[in-house]
Amino acid sequence: MTAVKEIQYQGEMHLLQKELMAKYYAEATAIAGGNGKKCAHLLIAGNPVELLRAFDVLPIYPEVNVLQIAVRHGSLPLIQKAEELGYAGDNCAYVKADIGLFHSGYSTPFAQIPKPDVLVCNYVGCNVYLNWFEHLAEMVDAPAMNIDIPFIRSADGEPSAADLTYVVKQLEELIVLLEKVTGKSLDWAKLTKIVERSARTGELWAQIKDMTKARPAPYDAYFDSVTMMAPLYCLRGTEDGLRFFEVAHREMKAQMEKAKGPLPEERFRIVIEGPPPWPKLRVFRDMFSRWGAVAVASTYSTVGGLWEFGFRHDPAHPLESIARHMLSANVCNRNFLQRYEQMERYVKEWEADAIVIHSVKSCRLFSAGQGDMREHFVRDLDVPTLLIESDIEDPRYFSEAQLRNRIDAFFEALEQRRVTAGKTLQGVASGSATGVVGVGS
Amino acid sequence: MTLTQEFPATRYRDVVEDREFPTVREWRARTGRSAVGCYPVYAPFELGHAAGMLPVGLFGGGNRIEIANADSRFQSFICSVVKSTMELGFQHKLDVFDALMFESICDPARNLASVMARNFKEQAMTYVHLPQNMTSAGVVDYLVAEYRRVAAELSATSGQDVTEDGLRASLTEYNAMRAAVRELYAFRALRPQDLSTGELYTLARLATLMAPDEVTPILREALAAARARDGRAKDRIKVVVIGSFCEQPPLELIESIEESGCYIVDDDFLLGWRLFRRDVPVDGDPYRALATAYLNDSLHASTKHDLRVPRATAIIDSVQRVGADAAICLIAKFCEPGLFDYALYRKAFDEHKVPHLYLEFEEKMWLYEKIRTEVETFVESMLFA
Amino acid sequence: MKYAAGVDVGSTQTKAIIVDERGAIVARALSDTGAYLVRAAERAFASALEQAGLRRDQVGQIIGTGYGRFKVEFGDAQVTEISCHAKGAWTLIPATRTVIDIGGQDTKAIKVSDHGEVLDFAMNDKCAAGSGRFLTNSAEAVGLDVSEMGARSMTAKQPVRLSTVCTIFVETDILTYLAQGKKVDDILAGVHGAIGARTVALVRRVGAESEVTFTGGVAKNIGIVKAVEEKLGMSVNVSPDSHYTGALGAAIFAMERVLAGPAVTSQEVLA
Repeated sequence: MTAVKEIQYQGEMHLLQKELMAKYYAEATAIAGGNGKKCAHLLIAGNPVELLRAFDVLPIYPEVNVLQIAVRHGSLPLIQKAEELGYAGDNCAYVKADIGLFHSGYSTPFAQIPKPDVLVCNYVGCNVYLNWFEHLAEMVDAPAMNIDIPFIRSADGEPSAADLTYVVKQLEELIVLLEKVTGKSLDWAKLTKIVERSARTGELWAQIKDMTKARPAPYDAYFDSVTMMAPLYCLRGTEDGLRFFEVAHREMKAQMEKAKGPLPEERFRIVIEGPPPWPKLRVFRDMFSRWGAVAVASTYSTVGGLWEFGFRHDPAHPLESIARHMLSANVCNRNFLQRYEQMERYVKEWEADAIVIHSVKSCRLFSAGQGDMREHFVRDLDVPTLLIESDIEDPRYFSEAQLRNRIDAFFEALEQRRVTAGKTLQGVASGSATGVVGVGS
Repeated sequence: MTLTQEFPATRYRDVVEDREFPTVREWRARTGRSAVGCYPVYAPFELGHAAGMLPVGLFGGGNRIEIANADSRFQSFICSVVKSTMELGFQHKLDVFDALMFESICDPARNLASVMARNFKEQAMTYVHLPQNMTSAGVVDYLVAEYRRVAAELSATSGQDVTEDGLRASLTEYNAMRAAVRELYAFRALRPQDLSTGELYTLARLATLMAPDEVTPILREALAAARARDGRAKDRIKVVVIGSFCEQPPLELIESIEESGCYIVDDDFLLGWRLFRRDVPVDGDPYRALATAYLNDSLHASTKHDLRVPRATAIIDSVQRVGADAAICLIAKFCEPGLFDYALYRKAFDEHKVPHLYLEFEEKMWLYEKIRTEVETFVESMLFA
Repeated sequence: MKYAAGVDVGSTQTKAIIVDERGAIVARALSDTGAYLVRAAERAFASALEQAGLRRDQVGQIIGTGYGRFKVEFGDAQVTEISCHAKGAWTLIPATRTVIDIGGQDTKAIKVSDHGEVLDFAMNDKCAAGSGRFLTNSAEAVGLDVSEMGARSMTAKQPVRLSTVCTIFVETDILTYLAQGKKVDDILAGVHGAIGARTVALVRRVGAESEVTFTGGVAKNIGIVKAVEEKLGMSVNVSPDSHYTGALGAAIFAMERVLAGPAVTSQEVLA
């Protein structure tokens, strides 16, 4: 038996992210303390953060707040509080944690979350968003607006002209609402500048995503992507946000040029579908690292925006491009079959060996129907695909032994296939060395 | 109307649960036209009718089919109706439809539409995005454009274009059907001893399986027959049942609730098929009339998020309007919208001092002892309070 | 003569198998796992050694499997029971291309290559319905011993319908049926039918390819075997050594390491 070597996942980018997020949460806390500035609560999928920033309204994401709490192992009491108030075991645990957080005075170990001055429910794919903010609207004394983003339901996978018109109209109405809330009128020059920063951020992000096509991938496109996602939502459009991505780009490019990856050896390249188990992120990551498995692409990293296939914000058409971002440049508002296509592209263009589907009980947008997804990849495309289950926020649904068993069995089998394939090529008779890899603990 | 004549609901009791869809097959054989299956809650089936099709309500497999294939595609924490609907496809029971319509009611239903489109290519799949921003100045135009788009898709399948006059004619027929159902609902609220909810449900369900002009006379016949009855009111409490707007409880479950001591005087069963409070106007642009009716003149729905009105308003109003003694939240297992709403209903019930009972069901039930006991206990607590 | 061993530490029982270099079984041992997994593994292995008349140092490699595989501290490596059941079933019945294993906690369906390798697998999700636990709970509810259930279920005239979703709700259903005066045999047939249906649903995820082999302890329950055959529409193999499939697979893997020599045995995954 050998000891497990402690794997360090922290680089310059990780440290800068910590610093910037601390600064962001300090701003939030200052607003909660009553410094006169305004904040809006909104949701991650296809978020119109540029408009908020143009009004100097701080974007607060309940999803980010509760996932941060889960990472710090604080989510269960909040969930239980919500369940006492009548929320069901089967309701999305993000919502329950946020409701529990509200009833605990919005105080977290890392910030005092300010009450919203306005509730912006960007309904982008996720129907639970509508329930969530409907409940919040009945709990807080703030104006609320549903921004209704029509689902991608056309054969060509694009929004219709009527869809675009509708969304742009609602964004104009959002502007009117923000003008009322802040007492200022929209500074179009400022908005243009912000949208331009978003465009440049998108470009950097797309290039960073492309880097994992290299062998070895310079970072893990699932576990390290989640580090990069927080600034993508909380800071997009700001100078700090742009600076973060410039630093991340530089660091990852350097890793790529040195042919370095996050693990000593990259043995399997995988595509991961589905959100992570936040309460057990590190444990979960280790289950893959022990097999030398690195994610080269992930669908979860595209919830807030899908930039790797060409979309960019357009400062010349701010509202229209924000509308397009919300309609079709994010994984949530795209239909389930479009997600299959997205994953197929990842497997092919990023040269992945296998897919891991992490099915989460809370999030039916991601999870409902993943059995069919697996069927498609295994049966139709012959891509080895593992389906495992836990939850995004509720630690009670994470069964470490069960997950480990399935993950180990999957990579054992992949290992075997490689060895067999290798032997067949060399014409070596089977029955001798099987290359069974034993893992000492 | 003689006493020996069978009450219309009794005649159709088995028909409404038959997943071979006998009424649809018969209509197709007779007319030579096509049918469109409509997944809950409300799909603008009026457009399908105007395209010459028979719109039919799809309510999963009920407790009649065994799920042997669909549960490899959808997980165990997904509601049964999603899986049983897909199972109907695997068992070729959807072959009677040329098109299927889905709409944005919840996340599993939305994904189901895609998964079924991939697996069952013989049925043309239409997905309707019903709006969720009722206050936008752009919402009516959006919904009108959406209805025009859906009409064009359905026409492509049926081979018959939707004309404005044609749509007006369809609206007129559905207005009549809905008026008949409304009258039955109103009658039951006043004289529940003369029209049981089991019977009313059978009739309302039948209306989702037949052409409107063919079912409306049956509904009227039933109303006349009910009026001719002279039942003695039993010692039961009056309840409003809410939460069963998509996956439907078995008829036997509804009857069990009544037999355990309740008169159900209002409910949201089969909500989408009786969604409009009044006739949809047939003058002017019929698409606009239909869109406006959905936005501003429809019954409360869990799947419609109207920030203008607090969520529990409708149930409290209903309880007060029909003079109910209590409310029963009858919610399908794993139903996301239903379970979210319950948290807000519960709060409102406490504030307005409305006694209430929470019951969970699934369509695949055959034993009702547990629910009977719960309802009986609840009734006793109210009667002997 | 070279020897190798496999030790399968399951949730209720621990099994040990020793094979020789032809892959033939020279010893089998079985004991209750209990609360101390390390000791259970040692006990089973010691018992197998005694049976075979061998010393510890005569066994070249030992592989641990099952949920307690990391507690086989004297082992040289660990392999999951999925891989071991595939290998074990194929060793017992080389025509095996699909393996079904209903364990205490888990149900597994495994697609197997013509060399006994795992091509694909599916396991039941969180719900315990369809696993051995479901059977044990049902046995308790009707007041029988688990070992009697299978035969009794086959004499049913009118099997009852049971919900196939949740093991907790099923117990309520069973009690309700008993209160209604339904026969125990009919209820058991319902239980076995429900397990059969859940199992076959799982098998469909990997595709049922002939020949299908049933492994694990529950394979001894003739009622389950018949229910699965009926719902699958295919006949199912059950080896007399079904209980030992996992340990056998582990032993075969261990023997492959012995035959491969020192180069392979020193190979280790990144720790």
